[in-house]
Amino acid sequence: MPVFASAPAHLRTPIRLPSSFTSRPELPNISATSSAPQRSSSRKCQLSYSSSSSAPSQNPEPLKLEALSPILKNLPKVIATSSAIVIVFNLGSHLFSCNGAGGGGGGGGNGFGGGGGGGGGDGGSFWRRFFAPAAMADESQNQEWDSHGLPANIVVQLNKLSGFKKYRVSDIFFLDRRRGVIVGPEDSFFEMVSLRPDGVYTKAQLQKELETLATCGMFEKVDMEGKTNPDGSIGVTISFTESTWQSADKFRCINVGLLPQTKPIEMDPDMTEKEKLEYFKNQEKDYKRRIDRARPCLLPMPVYNEVLQMLRDQGKVSARLLQRIRDRVQKWYHDEGYACAQVVNFGNLNTKEVVCEVVEGDITQLVIQFQDKLGNVVEGNTQIPVVKRELPRQLRPSYVFNIEAGKQALRNINSLALFSNIEVNPRPDEKVDGGIIVEIKLKELEQKTAEVSTEWSIVPGRGGYPTLASLQPGGTVTFEHRNIKGLNRSILGSVTTSNFVNPQDDLAFKLEYVHPYLDGVYNPRNRTLRVSCFNSRKLSPVFTGGPGVDEVPPIWVDRAGAKANITENFTRQSKFTYGLVMEEITTRDESSHICPNGQRVLPSGGVTVDGPPTTLSGTGIDRMAFLQANITRDNTKFVNGTIVGQRNVFQVDQGLGVGSNFPFFNRHQLTLTRFFQLKEVEEGAGKPPPPVLVLHGHYGGCVGDLPSYDAFTLGGPYSVRGYNMGEIGAARNILELAAELRIPVRGTHVYAFAEHGNDLGSSKDVKGNPTEVYRRMGKGSSYGCGVKLGLVRAEYAVDHNSGTGALFFRFGERF
Amino acid sequence: MASQVIREWSGINTFAPATQTKLFELLGKLKIENVNTLTILVMGKGGVGKSSTVNSLIGERAVSISPFQSEGTRPVMVSRSRAGFTLNVIDTPGLIEGGYINDMALNNIKSFLLNKTIDVLLYVDRLDSYRVDNLDREVVKAITDSLGKAIWNRALVVLTHAQLSPPDGLPYDEFFSKRSEALIRALRLGAGLKKHDMQGSAIPVVLVENSGRCNKNENEEKILPTGTPWISHLVQIITEVALNGSKSIVVDKKLIEGPNPNDRGKILIPIFLAFQYFFAIKPIEWAIRGDIAQESRPSWETRDTSMVSRRF
Repeated sequence: MPVFASAPAHLRTPIRLPSSFTSRPELPNISATSSAPQRSSSRKCQLSYSSSSSAPSQNPEPLKLEALSPILKNLPKVIATSSAIVIVFNLGSHLFSCNGAGGGGGGGGNGFGGGGGGGGGDGGSFWRRFFAPAAMADESQNQEWDSHGLPANIVVQLNKLSGFKKYRVSDIFFLDRRRGVIVGPEDSFFEMVSLRPDGVYTKAQLQKELETLATCGMFEKVDMEGKTNPDGSIGVTISFTESTWQSADKFRCINVGLLPQTKPIEMDPDMTEKEKLEYFKNQEKDYKRRIDRARPCLLPMPVYNEVLQMLRDQGKVSARLLQRIRDRVQKWYHDEGYACAQVVNFGNLNTKEVVCEVVEGDITQLVIQFQDKLGNVVEGNTQIPVVKRELPRQLRPSYVFNIEAGKQALRNINSLALFSNIEVNPRPDEKVDGGIIVEIKLKELEQKTAEVSTEWSIVPGRGGYPTLASLQPGGTVTFEHRNIKGLNRSILGSVTTSNFVNPQDDLAFKLEYVHPYLDGVYNPRNRTLRVSCFNSRKLSPVFTGGPGVDEVPPIWVDRAGAKANITENFTRQSKFTYGLVMEEITTRDESSHICPNGQRVLPSGGVTVDGPPTTLSGTGIDRMAFLQANITRDNTKFVNGTIVGQRNVFQVDQGLGVGSNFPFFNRHQLTLTRFFQLKEVEEGAGKPPPPVLVLHGHYGGCVGDLPSYDAFTLGGPYSVRGYNMGEIGAARNILELAAELRIPVRGTHVYAFAEHGNDLGSSKDVKGNPTEVYRRMGKGSSYGCGVKLGLVRAEYAVDHNSGTGALFFRFGERF
Repeated sequence: MASQVIREWSGINTFAPATQTKLFELLGKLKIENVNTLTILVMGKGGVGKSSTVNSLIGERAVSISPFQSEGTRPVMVSRSRAGFTLNVIDTPGLIEGGYINDMALNNIKSFLLNKTIDVLLYVDRLDSYRVDNLDREVVKAITDSLGKAIWNRALVVLTHAQLSPPDGLPYDEFFSKRSEALIRALRLGAGLKKHDMQGSAIPVVLVENSGRCNKNENEEKILPTGTPWISHLVQIITEVALNGSKSIVVDKKLIEGPNPNDRGKILIPIFLAFQYFFAIKPIEWAIRGDIAQESRPSWETRDTSMVSRRF
């Protein structure tokens, strides 16, 4: 199950206050075990906070960086970054779901379990970590708890509680002392407390909680007291005073990623006043230098202005305001896909300017590694440049990591069809602070595959009973050698027959060699060489009767040959293909005998074989070589699931005068299709698609030798609907025009269409005039309407030549 | 049939002496012009009297006539020689069957005519059918498609059943001119002939009465209601047409199958190819480049986040 997860754990990061230089905290360590301590999810930036001091007027204030808590240090393994992003793309299904930040907690977690691969493991631990607090509370609910053993409804100080008891906390209140109100859970401070109602905690845990709150820098003063309940549980009230600083009218956002950490000088408690002053001054200078060296942020002007407005509206800078600024800034980054970006600090407080320090997540390294089936790193067969050329520039070192670029890389690599599992995984760079290493982990597909699929067809024998003789073993043998030399070259072969015992009856084979990166793997020009041998058997639509003509004996056209062509891809959809085709064409009648002329039924009921010639040579077998070029311009795109844009195709087959009767010809066709969006609609998932008008024109023409099997035919589901294949005619030059109006209705669409096909009077220019011989009109129109049901089109089309309508079910699209 | 032994034209003796004299005179005229062989192709709808006309012309029952049923679908050539002069008359089956052109008969005629030279075409119709319809045009078109437009330079229209009393008391001459006018018009339309396609005069129209009850004049010659002896008149017109200066039609494969559409414009293919390259492939390529330039990219792709390009 492919899961895409991006969850900023740092939402719970306390802002470190007050300003001054602080070394950026280590990216938090994440435990892979479920016994992770409750607070492990949040960044530990323990600043000893002197709550006894008066309102902070000094800048900078003295501070001390405490070591990370020993529990965390003992954690076994560093697994992921604080904002763990794991992109797992499993080829098993081509779904691509996205679990947004903090979205759908448990479900997401479960999804990751099935994610498979190393990434899945990482993600799992990440989710566990992310939801650790809740999980802890859940676990403790089942635990035994002790009654407080005190009279009901009395207020108890925290230090008065017994250290040996486990207290059940019935509810938690926040009391804003400045405002004198109890704040609800919607308050931004609420998220900072890990205590949950109905949790069971010891005194030490409660004290730790209080300590955490006191040191996070958001509060000038924090107190915790309990109130005994009659049922033995206690209610906890946390009273606090929010920190505030003087008002600011400037805002600055800097990227402090990759900046070398300044080593804090331990402040000696025995420093004299003068030394202290000196120390603060130094710190201030250091911070100034740090700001100057920092790089500007990606944050655009509108967001800057928004933040400035917030500062102006507020007046005094408060902890809550900083929290809001942090959320706003981070929201922009995450909305834009910079999932590794986070606000790490606010500096320069108590001046006119608020400095927001952001680590944007600069990529320091791009690692491509291959894994075997067990997830061990192995040396891959694929050459690295093949993968690298699929990566967007934005994933290269020195760019800021963007999750959309990651997704793009994933899609591009997936389109190579070389890997069974692809992960694009950013992880923190341990050597460079704030750096991101983009890891691309690939599991290669088996290089050589062979497949045999068989089927037995039981043909009804005499009397409708299947006889042993009519049992036919048929099937397909396929082999594929992929990724030869690690350059994505491949050989593919397949043989299909409906009867292995007698394969000469109908043996279809195909052998293809594909050679991509013809101009070199480092060349951005994307040309692919394809060489193939093939054969095919098709019923010729040229030898089809017009309306009212009974059964015309069918003619089968067998083609066997080889072709070599070069495809240059301009965009995903637009391309130019040119190459050489050499083929032998054999025309056969129903009983597989070679026939040089079409048959026709006489009015008397007899059949003559003096119909139009089937081949150029007049023998029933033609050989020819010609050049083929095809240029396709396709800028269609999907607007809420409906195709919009235009598609132009020009194809020319140029005979070389090599082959039977020296065929020299120029056969060309131009197709123009436009999908007009008739109404502007809002784009987005679940939004209704716009109504679309489709206009389509197709011109085909041929100068020079034109054998009947190459004549253009009119009529059929991809030509003029409502007619059979070739029912309108077979001609040297044709013109088809079609219009279709599509109206969306409840997740699908209904459509009405009108089409016309015309031979431009060129039917007589086909040798033997098969159009006239089989009594066809040479031109015809149709109109009708239909509804799209999943992949199936159900349509009612009226054939204008005979004026009768019929209901058709077709697969796929007409245009 | 074509290899049939050329017999003595003895039928000529059955004609009235005056007619014989006239015929010999005409044959002599042809001989002077160095024409020793004359091939006459007789075509027309079914049941208009083609075979009878042939028999009347030869002067014997050379071909069987089948008055009440459609004849076979094979053409017949009757060859007679007299005094070093050979007359070939090709009688063809009716081209119309059941209201449609009989493709089969047409194909048979075509293959029969292959490698023969046609000097004169007799397009036969009845004088006493009053209407000219699409079917006439179809027949004319079929003949033109098979033998080319030039055949009409060597054609004459033969109207059989000439001995009739016109309806509504119309004068015979007026009826005849009206009928022939309408037919010629249909013929022109069907053959797609324009004024300048016709060399010299218009297609002559000749009246014929094959019936044994045909009136005769004092010289025992079969005469028309106008009093003209028609056999000698017919031969005279045939001679005129044969000598009108236009070329005889040599029926070869090319003529029968029409111009080979596969050869048309072949020489221009390199020009077509160059045109396609510059006016189809190139513009589409430019359009693709335009698409690439216009493609709307997501903001993360356009925002250049590289450290290299950002100011430190």
